[in-house]
Amino acid sequence: MSEEITITIDDGEIKTHHGEKILWAALENDIYIPHLCAIKKETRPNASCRLCFVEIEGHERPVTSCTREVEEGMVVKTRSPRLDRLVKTGFELLLSDHNLNCRECPANRNCALQVIAKKRGFKLKRDRIKPIEREFELDDSPAEFAFDRSRCVLCGQCIWADRVEAEVGAIGFSNRGLKRVVTTFNDLPLADSICTECKLCVDVCPVGALYYKKDQKA
Amino acid sequence: MNKTDLLKRYEDMKEEARQSIQARQEKSLVLIGTATCGLAAGAMQVKEDFIREIETKGLEAEVIEVGCIGHCYAEPLAIIAKPGYPAVCYGNLDEGLVHRLVEDFLAGDDPSYEYAMAALDRNDEFPTFEDFPRGVYEEKMILEHCGLTDFKKIESYIANGGYEALAKALSEDPGFVLEEVKEANLRGRGGAGFPAGKKWEACLNNGENEKYVICNGDEGDPGAFMDRSVLESDPHLVIEGMILCAYAVGSHQGYLYIRAEYPRAVEHVREAIKQAREKGLLGSSILGTDFSFDLEVFQGSGAFICGEATALVNSMEGKMGMPESRPPRLVEQGFRGKPTVLNNVKTFAYVPLIISRGADWFKSTGTSESPGTAVFSLVGKINNTGLVEVPMGTTLRQLIEEVGDGLPNGREFKAVQIGGPSGGCLPESSLDVPIDFDSLHEAGAIMGSGGLVVMDQDDCMVSVARYFLEFTQHESCGKCTFCRLGTKHMLDILTDITRGEGDLETLELLKELSEDVRDGSLCNLGRTAPNPVLTTLRYFYDEYRAHVEEGRCPALVCRDLILYYIKPPKCSKLCNVCVGSCPTEAIYTREDGLKAIDQDKCVKCDNCRKACPDEYDAVIKLSPPELPAEKERKAK
Amino acid sequence: MLQLKEGEKEEILACVKEVLGENSKTHENLIPVLQQVQKKLGYLPVLAMEKIAEGLDVPAADVFGLATFYNQFRLNPPGKHEVKVCLGTACYMTGGDITLESFERRMEIKESETSPDRHYSLERVACVGCCSLAPVVVVDDQVEGKVTPTRVDGIMLELEADRDGPAGEESGPKEGGNSEQD
Ligand SMILES: Cc1cc2nc3c(=O)[nH]c(=O)nc-3n(C[C@H](O)[C@H](O)[C@H](O)COP(=O)(O)O)c2cc1C
Ligand code: SF4
Ligand code: SF4
Ligand code: SF4
Ligand code: SF4
Ligand code: FES
Ligand code: FES
Ligand code: FES
Repeated sequence: MSEEITITIDDGEIKTHHGEKILWAALENDIYIPHLCAIKKETRPNASCRLCFVEIEGHERPVTSCTREVEEGMVVKTRSPRLDRLVKTGFELLLSDHNLNCRECPANRNCALQVIAKKRGFKLKRDRIKPIEREFELDDSPAEFAFDRSRCVLCGQCIWADRVEAEVGAIGFSNRGLKRVVTTFNDLPLADSICTECKLCVDVCPVGALYYKKDQKA
Repeated sequence: MNKTDLLKRYEDMKEEARQSIQARQEKSLVLIGTATCGLAAGAMQVKEDFIREIETKGLEAEVIEVGCIGHCYAEPLAIIAKPGYPAVCYGNLDEGLVHRLVEDFLAGDDPSYEYAMAALDRNDEFPTFEDFPRGVYEEKMILEHCGLTDFKKIESYIANGGYEALAKALSEDPGFVLEEVKEANLRGRGGAGFPAGKKWEACLNNGENEKYVICNGDEGDPGAFMDRSVLESDPHLVIEGMILCAYAVGSHQGYLYIRAEYPRAVEHVREAIKQAREKGLLGSSILGTDFSFDLEVFQGSGAFICGEATALVNSMEGKMGMPESRPPRLVEQGFRGKPTVLNNVKTFAYVPLIISRGADWFKSTGTSESPGTAVFSLVGKINNTGLVEVPMGTTLRQLIEEVGDGLPNGREFKAVQIGGPSGGCLPESSLDVPIDFDSLHEAGAIMGSGGLVVMDQDDCMVSVARYFLEFTQHESCGKCTFCRLGTKHMLDILTDITRGEGDLETLELLKELSEDVRDGSLCNLGRTAPNPVLTTLRYFYDEYRAHVEEGRCPALVCRDLILYYIKPPKCSKLCNVCVGSCPTEAIYTREDGLKAIDQDKCVKCDNCRKACPDEYDAVIKLSPPELPAEKERKAK
Repeated sequence: MLQLKEGEKEEILACVKEVLGENSKTHENLIPVLQQVQKKLGYLPVLAMEKIAEGLDVPAADVFGLATFYNQFRLNPPGKHEVKVCLGTACYMTGGDITLESFERRMEIKESETSPDRHYSLERVACVGCCSLAPVVVVDDQVEGKVTPTRVDGIMLELEADRDGPAGEESGPKEGGNSEQD
């Protein structure tokens, strides 16, 4: 591929190539950085989950590693008290709006939130920040899968799959702010929308929001 | 086309404009301020009254609508310019006063100075605005013609020297414009104060082809209306600034992004664009040169976040107005993926002045790091509400006490909120801070959009912080975690505090969350949303403590922490006004004839307190919400 | 979902067709097209959004996303009379929230709602640009300054007076405003 670049992450040198984002360079070298929304093929990442922060020498503020391209000689840190605090708050904020009932979740033990918690030593509990109480209707209209918005972390992976991989355009974001959700045109049940039930979106959902009915816990 | 021909062509145009305006000035002119606030105060009625009175008397006088005259506290306003007299401004007009002015001044020879606010031209009969304290500190650059010029006629603008800068620039290379703007150190007036020249240069250097110039007229700060006033009252100033920018960076198409709530601004700008095209000042071959540039208006659809640069571009492309992470910056990849310059309305408005009068003229006002003027809309507990323009470096104290004429009825200053929802609240001790981008930033506020709210003892800082946060939370685009969820939790905590719930730990959590939202959010909406909270925590911590520790709102604002009480010794017993004013029939007459409030029914609407006649002033608020009787009982 | 009345469907289709005819069919024109359609119809019916999506070749989910993102767009028809209470800084500080609450109490709806009989819509806005007249409300596009609680009553009386006949399509005004008390 393109020219090779060497950068330092957490005191170790790694080799990567020009144009690569720090996040992917790190992951490929087995250095973990929390992330939910990053999509490798996307050239202009959403950078919406705000969990992939790193510190770059010479930069005053933490930077999202999914958006920043590597540069020769770059010195990157994935851990520091400041980063850990920021990522912890971000994580707690996501949990505060997440139906935290792992035992009943089809994604239990296969969930990106659990991975982040484990890697960073976060609790899967809400004590500092209170949960936001709200209800969502379950959409189990498709034959083989269902959509439970109460677990959605708005990472946008499903929309990418639907648009770019499946080329359908059945789902998208709607509303603004706290009301933001993933939905179909006019909030129709998926089965009544133009969804082809190709299930590509189900495969990319990092949590238990879009899930196969067969994985459902009784 | 050579330089002389070009300048000659402009001079002819100006001469023609001057003649058509002069013909007008031989008659008496009545200028009525019909900006949004004038309209609300009844300017159209005043206009009709003038026209009717003038017709009945068969006088030769013309009534013209102008924009914001800047003295909104005295709307409706009019300026009468009668040949042989200084132009005089009158405020608080009504039918009677109009009748009188027409009879005594237009038909007669008495300018009725007893009703005048000030004269506009120096004269030896009556003081001008400059003779008041406000005038001493004010210095008008971009507001110079606001409210004095007929925005419906391009001739008014040209006769005052408008488009001269354009003619001058076109007779030089584009580099001339860029150099002047850089030399002037013009900093962006949309909030952050980024040097305009640097931005333009970056755009210029990003290739030869398609480029765009966009004016940010989204002005969403819920208490500021400077951009609206400039667009409504002097639209050509902004248009000329944009053409100059386009010439400097090599762009051929520009857009004015104007918010949906400003239909008059849209209308005036569209008309101005049309007239500029007719004069050959916009469109292809501007003033006969080979430079072409055209402009269109894009109407926003009511989302505060669209004021953010990348969100604005997304919305122009027909998408949700959601910010993108940067880089790339707009000057690299902006509208349609092409290099784009985005500047605020005011930033563009300075450009023609800088080009025609020179960078040194511009720099002679203001401070070295922040040259020029600052425009504020003064609101809140201040006598002279309205638009003001002062040199950068003026202190907040001068602005509030002299220009704004202090607080009404001897009220005591408590805090000033600058920069709207992304700004901060500063206390008395910060009043000597000079107004410039860097000093305000250091003090914890920002220049922001120029909204300035003065607050007194009756304003609760917790509730003010909550107000701004509610605004940003409501306007958050919802894309990123910290802003979407963080502001919601901050708001919930603040709401709890206004109810007296929580403890010192809650305050600590609020502070931590604020800091993390500031550091973790994607765009400046989220990054600056915590400012009002952080500054009030910093400067008014005691007030927060009173809420959580004593269940008391010191300013008597937070409704869960107050109750309404009618003081027996003060109540007149006979007037009954409060009883009628209460929407829930909470007020009853006791056996001894005194009025009292049934606390279970009271919805704390404040009606009775307003209704109770001043001479009794019997209705009061108490915080913590305990009736004197209860308090006594507790004490025992 | 809202049931379309006789003839409404045709009106919507005709309107969308006309607006699409006046604009070039690019994704970029989505917002102007939605604005123009809403201006004509007063709101954006589902059918209109569907047709616009087809016409501009944009996924319908995106048209819906956009229409729900921006404050300006409404998916339901507005009431006959629209009251907007300003909650900009100056108005808030002079009691705009209390004014809003008074309207909510009198109309028996919350902000951003339309009364079931479609007589009123109540909304909040942020600064209409005449802060010196705070608190401000906009009644059917007419700006009213310095709105005192008694003025709220006055405005309500005027709006109540404008009902067509005692019975009919719209249900008559409900009496009294203190039902939620006690
Ligand atoms: C939430 C948000 C709202 C903004 N609103 C405006 C606005 O209404 N007008 C404006 O000129 N700039 C606004 N800005 C700043 C713009 O992003 C941008 O910096 C500015 O238009 C650049 O112009 P300037 O350099 O001339 O200031 C806003 C920024 C944010 C984050
Ligand atoms: S299953 Fe439906 S929504 Fe999911 S990607 Fe396929 S078409 Fe799109
Ligand atoms: S449904 Fe799953 S993939 Fe889609 S946004 Fe939500 S969490 Fe992400
Ligand atoms: S900070 Fe707020 S407004 Fe900005 S991108 Fe994030 S959610 Fe949207
Ligand atoms: S505050 Fe309002 S509800 Fe309470 S007693 Fe006074 S008028 Fe009645
Ligand atoms: S992975 Fe970088 S912000 Fe989500
Ligand atoms: S004088 Fe009223 S809008 Fe300025
Ligand atoms: S705050 Fe209400 S008009 Fe400006």
